[in-house]
Amino acid sequence: MRDHLRLLINGREHEVRGRDVFATVANWLRARGATGTKIVCEEGDCGACTVLIRRGETFLPVNSCIQSMFQLDGASIVTVEGLGMNAVQQSMIAHHGAQCGYCTPGFVVAMTGMFETRDHVDEPCARAELVGNLCRCTGYEPIIKAACAVESGSMRRMHEIYPQTIDDDQSVLIEDEGRTFFAPTTLDDALTFKRKFKPCTIVQGATDVGVWINKRAYSAAAMLSLSKIAELRELREDEGAIVAGANVSLTELESFTRDRIPELHRILNIFGSAQIKNAGTLAGNIANGSPIGDTLPYLMVAGAMLEIASVDGTRLVDINQFYKGYKQFDLAPHEIIVRVRVPIVRDTLKLYKVSRRRDLDISAFTAAIRLSTTDGHINAAAIAYGGVAPTVLRLKNTESFLAGKPINADTFETAGRIARDEIAPISDVRGSRDYRLQLAENILCKFYYEIAT
Amino acid sequence: MSSVGRNIPHDSARGHVTGESIYVDDMPPLRGEVIVDFYWSPVAHGRIRSVDTTAACGVPGVVALFTHHDLAHNLFGPTLQDEVLLAEDVVMFIGQPIVVIAAESRDAIKAAKAAIKVEIEPLEPVFTIDEAKKRRDFIGPVRHIRRGDLARGFAEADHVIEGVWINGGQDHFYLESQAAIAVPGEHDQLTVHSSTQNPSEVQHVVAHLLGVPINKITVVTKRMGGGFGGKECQATHPAAIASLVAQKLKRAARIAYSKDDDMCVTGGRHPFQNDYKIGFKSDGTITAAKIDCYSDGGAFNDLSTSVMGRAMTHADNAYYLPNVEITGTVCRTNYPPNTAFRGFGGPQGIITIENALEEIAYFLGKDPLEIRKRNCYGIDDRNVTPYGQTVSNNHLPQLFEQCGEQAEYAKRVTDVGAFNASSKTHVRGIAATAVKFGISFNTKALNQANALVNVYLDGSVQVSTGATEMGQGVNTKIQQIVADEFGIDPELVIVMATSTEKNNNTSATAASSGADLNGSAAADACQKIRAGMTEFAANYFERITGLEASQEHVVFARGHVFDDRKPDERVPFHAMVKMAYLDRVSLGERGFYATKHLDWDADTGAGTPFLYFTQGVAVSEVELDRFTGHMRVLRSDLLMDIGKPINPGIDRGQLTGAFIQGMGWLTNEELRYDAQGNLLSHSPTTYKIPNIGDVPDVFNVAWIDAENALNIRSSKAVGEPPLCLAVSVYMAVKNALSYVSGTEIPKIDAPVTGENILMRLTHYTRTLARNGVAVA
Repeated sequence: MRDHLRLLINGREHEVRGRDVFATVANWLRARGATGTKIVCEEGDCGACTVLIRRGETFLPVNSCIQSMFQLDGASIVTVEGLGMNAVQQSMIAHHGAQCGYCTPGFVVAMTGMFETRDHVDEPCARAELVGNLCRCTGYEPIIKAACAVESGSMRRMHEIYPQTIDDDQSVLIEDEGRTFFAPTTLDDALTFKRKFKPCTIVQGATDVGVWINKRAYSAAAMLSLSKIAELRELREDEGAIVAGANVSLTELESFTRDRIPELHRILNIFGSAQIKNAGTLAGNIANGSPIGDTLPYLMVAGAMLEIASVDGTRLVDINQFYKGYKQFDLAPHEIIVRVRVPIVRDTLKLYKVSRRRDLDISAFTAAIRLSTTDGHINAAAIAYGGVAPTVLRLKNTESFLAGKPINADTFETAGRIARDEIAPISDVRGSRDYRLQLAENILCKFYYEIAT
Repeated sequence: MSSVGRNIPHDSARGHVTGESIYVDDMPPLRGEVIVDFYWSPVAHGRIRSVDTTAACGVPGVVALFTHHDLAHNLFGPTLQDEVLLAEDVVMFIGQPIVVIAAESRDAIKAAKAAIKVEIEPLEPVFTIDEAKKRRDFIGPVRHIRRGDLARGFAEADHVIEGVWINGGQDHFYLESQAAIAVPGEHDQLTVHSSTQNPSEVQHVVAHLLGVPINKITVVTKRMGGGFGGKECQATHPAAIASLVAQKLKRAARIAYSKDDDMCVTGGRHPFQNDYKIGFKSDGTITAAKIDCYSDGGAFNDLSTSVMGRAMTHADNAYYLPNVEITGTVCRTNYPPNTAFRGFGGPQGIITIENALEEIAYFLGKDPLEIRKRNCYGIDDRNVTPYGQTVSNNHLPQLFEQCGEQAEYAKRVTDVGAFNASSKTHVRGIAATAVKFGISFNTKALNQANALVNVYLDGSVQVSTGATEMGQGVNTKIQQIVADEFGIDPELVIVMATSTEKNNNTSATAASSGADLNGSAAADACQKIRAGMTEFAANYFERITGLEASQEHVVFARGHVFDDRKPDERVPFHAMVKMAYLDRVSLGERGFYATKHLDWDADTGAGTPFLYFTQGVAVSEVELDRFTGHMRVLRSDLLMDIGKPINPGIDRGQLTGAFIQGMGWLTNEELRYDAQGNLLSHSPTTYKIPNIGDVPDVFNVAWIDAENALNIRSSKAVGEPPLCLAVSVYMAVKNALSYVSGTEIPKIDAPVTGENILMRLTHYTRTLARNGVAVA
């Protein structure tokens, strides 16, 4: 057990203690003069603070403004200052990929990260992988050109440049100014801690908690990280379902669903940026419980099961029973979601995410529509909508109406009107009540035309 | 080889990609430095009853608090002196500074903000242009531009359309939020490091508010992390606030807004609400146009009256309006003062007439591009603007023709029609729009610049001008211009940080004119140095070659100086510099430039406000999801006349960047407020600027081969004009709606968000269903 953090930055080891343990990574770096890492939005939406963090043999981009130092124990991090002058940077210079330069360090770090898993980047790849970086000057086109012009084989893998690792797999317990951080190596220790400290916030990706820290002066007395618990990293297929441990990142899940649940893979693809998905977890998305959580509609129509553990034992909860109200869950303060069992749906299935901007935008409305059919007739329907109520909602009336109906335009137009009557959305900054009602109605028609053609 | 015209990298590119480039808040803390922030009004309009800072003073880490009582003067403003730095008895918008806080840490500032007690009695706020019109609460005079006989023009018309153009505002969203560091010096002097487009204005305002002579204040701007107009006037506030603290405490003072605060307290692009009434013949030729522009100026003028001037002088855009009246009224509301934003009112004027032309086409059932071409300014006739300036060197007809061909407009219009007839799920639209953007500040005095060029003994050169670098590449262009003046490699030229110590009374780097004005002034300084060196060199070559000394034959090229009658006897530039120095020739000079031919009278709305016009045409195609309203830009083709670019790579980046920024304004960027006037979309989570996925699937950017004898090295200003071409995206959405609106002319306000589009689609679908028309 250690009482401080150990981490590598650009190959150099640092020990971090006391107050610094609770600083954000971006602030910590900048306070030490590493000002190439910029802070702009402090909420993981602009990417100017992007750094690379090693996972296995790969260095992945994450937003350092919403990561706290304590999340990085044992990690190897590369900042823009550690890149030298690689082929991405040279290409950015040659193609005028930088104008004012403020977003540029974040871009070159994220672009370097792209080349950790591939030798060459084409335009669709650049567009997909860089949605987490905002640029206000270039119109992105020069950046796309710069990414695509990097020659195959010209980028060295980061682990060759920074081969050092910190291998002591010790648990970490740090107390400072009344705050406690604990990163145990066993689930039992985690459960004991969770029982002892109330309230205790679990920080995994902290893609939400990091924003609360920056913008709501959030400070929990106790913070618990599960990241050192090896068994929670499991990700496997088991009897028609994907089993994902609490440590599984959204990036890992995205890649694992590619062939198994292509429709969920598509939504995970536009779920958020690479930076967010590398940090965020499926369990976190569930436990955050936002009514517009992008994975939730699928999990509901698929009937995902949550494995919830505590010192008292383990229980299974159907996700359809988990949400009790706005951010109210069937989860006691001392319990932890340790695994999620995600059934692989083979019925007719479509998922929808409607947001102002297609990429990296919190949804105004989400939907999952699942049908089992025989010979042009609907046997059963499962429909979940997000953004229309305090929780993601199953549309019981619409589901019962659809059962037994023929698949035609009339059926879905009527279903749309029933769906509209079944919900009572609110107006907020992401969309008006009328807009959401119209989407709720239209999405069933859209679904019909998509499955009919 | 000439340096101008070459695609060399941005002079800061290396520092940008390595993270070495330093911005204000990257500067290491100075000894004794305090952090500065301010407590702002939480009420949009109200009377201050009391300000109690006692408790805040006692917060650990708080060093001092200041109010307007601590300023020598409080009133300022770039054109009208109508703005206070710190609120006195009345607050005019949410975000208006009331109390300045100096502290040892950010935590202390947070605690101090919570401890400050300000009692405000609310007054009724004004949040809409309509409400301000009703109250006749305007800023500055109502201005007019008139030409011809409006009544006769309408009498000659076969048809008349009327409508209201409405667009929303836009946040600059420069990545680097406002920041300044003020450092006290000897004898009440202050050095201010400011992220500003306008160091001289910061200098003048700080001196005025602190009550010291201007020469006590030095403002330095190394670079900005984006400006876009947002740091033309509104960088002054943080700089002045930090300077007040530095003056009072004799300690360095740093202020750096958070992105949320920046978005809440600063103004942006002006929302406009323009009434238009256009008369036209059955062939689409406009005979009369009445356009009444109303902008939301916010609480104080800032640059609103000037922005309105540019909106009015761009309400014709590319089109000849024979009988015309344009009026401009700035409305006062209780929002932060709106300010300069790339385009400076031009886009709001341009889109009004473009929208009207689109509607004329729908009214007549004709192709909108045909209607635009019919009304386009001519080469030899129909080429005088409503304010009396002739559109010379006019490439608009060629641009319409050529861009239409390159984009395969005619074929794609047919394709769009066929697609819309068959698709149940999507509807497409296509549109071509133009830009004719006047280059020069409307305010004549601003069209001047000075430059300082120093040549060192090894032949290396430093250049200082009033231009500020915000990513647009002005320094690189100046570097290239100066390199060519001496015939040397651009690597030998460094453009220095902008400082009021070296360049005085400079204009804002704005109105796209940074390179025009400062590049010309730098060239003038180089020419003065060269004159001295040439005189020396002519005599030198006489001694070496025996030829009679002739200054006309001395050439600076390819890194050497030589007599072109005997080019083999050449001397490296650095060697000639050394010899000239020993002969006591001046190797540092100041250059000056004042734009000629300008003459503008805002009161009569007539004259020649612009040196020339930058022009362009764009064709865009979009696809709307009939069920969600989601919009995607399938393709955009831009074709422009930007003269001969000094750096084609940099200019290309201005085209792509401006276009996407304009697209953001018209599509997804929406400032949403609550009923009390609080901005709800104050961070990128809720305020969505375009990201990489929003770039059109196909994006072609090009320019024609054209000269511009009126400007340095035949170049043209390029910063703002391409932003106006994003109007083509808006218009393509309108075009798509025309396929579902039946016989109605489709209407949609900007921005065309997915929600806005879906509600319009729904409206038209329902209207048609009611009228018994089958909907595809």
